[in-house]
Amino acid sequence: MTAGRTPQVGDEMPALTRTVSQEQIVAYAEASGDRNPIHLDPEFARGVGLPGTIAHGFLEMAILAEAVARWAGGYERVAELGCRFSKPLLPGEAITCTGRVVAVDPVSGALTLQLEATSSRGERVLTNGRAVVRPDD
Amino acid sequence: MPDPSHVGRRYVAPGQLISPERVAAYASAVSGDDPTFPPGSVPPAFAAVYCVQPTLAEMFADPELGIELAGLIHAEQSFEWPVPVRPGDVVDAAAEVTSVEARRGLTFVTVGLEATNQAGETVCRGRTLLLTRSAAR
Repeated sequence: MTAGRTPQVGDEMPALTRTVSQEQIVAYAEASGDRNPIHLDPEFARGVGLPGTIAHGFLEMAILAEAVARWAGGYERVAELGCRFSKPLLPGEAITCTGRVVAVDPVSGALTLQLEATSSRGERVLTNGRAVVRPDD
Repeated sequence: MPDPSHVGRRYVAPGQLISPERVAAYASAVSGDDPTFPPGSVPPAFAAVYCVQPTLAEMFADPELGIELAGLIHAEQSFEWPVPVRPGDVVDAAAEVTSVEARRGLTFVTVGLEATNQAGETVCRGRTLLLTRSAAR
């Protein structure tokens, strides 16, 4: 957040862009324990109607959480986060997370952000994103 | 195939250790060579690992609920973190089927999630929306 200034409705969160490779999807499967073959096995993924393997929704959500946490100044600032997984993110594509402040609680100072994420293919992969950021202690 | 009679089914995953090694592996899988914060704080989306993954694994293994993984879509996810989770915490996680609705050939399964730490504090609440194709009739 901008130092020395109270965040206001309309403030934009700096965008965070990450390219997600198949190697990263494999690393995420190992680290998270989610080894669903739609993320790991292209043939299996095509068999269930996907264009190939897809990134874990939770990997995309984790990148969205990072975008918020970076702007807010720490993981523990993120009090709430939600989104809809609208379109798959495919390996090799970049995801860009954006957001802006839509409400400031006048009593607690908590901020509500509206968020979304788009892929480098131009798909809105995460929609209806919303986060609540705790104020400074 | 899930139906409304399954509402209230509960799946528990007690004793989830928030190990610093697993947190570090998760953060590295998400951030790659672009680390966000120094080790010691837990990415909020790590709730996928200590809360969602172990409880939904129990749910998917419930033969009476009968969720088929092929064609299962993770449609929406939201979390709240009332108290930050910390490395070394031991967390009891639980998931409960809160609604099952059939619409337009799809079955919408909503799952409520909760995780409490060793002090009995709620560290995470969540809601998962899953879509599965309804049985052909």
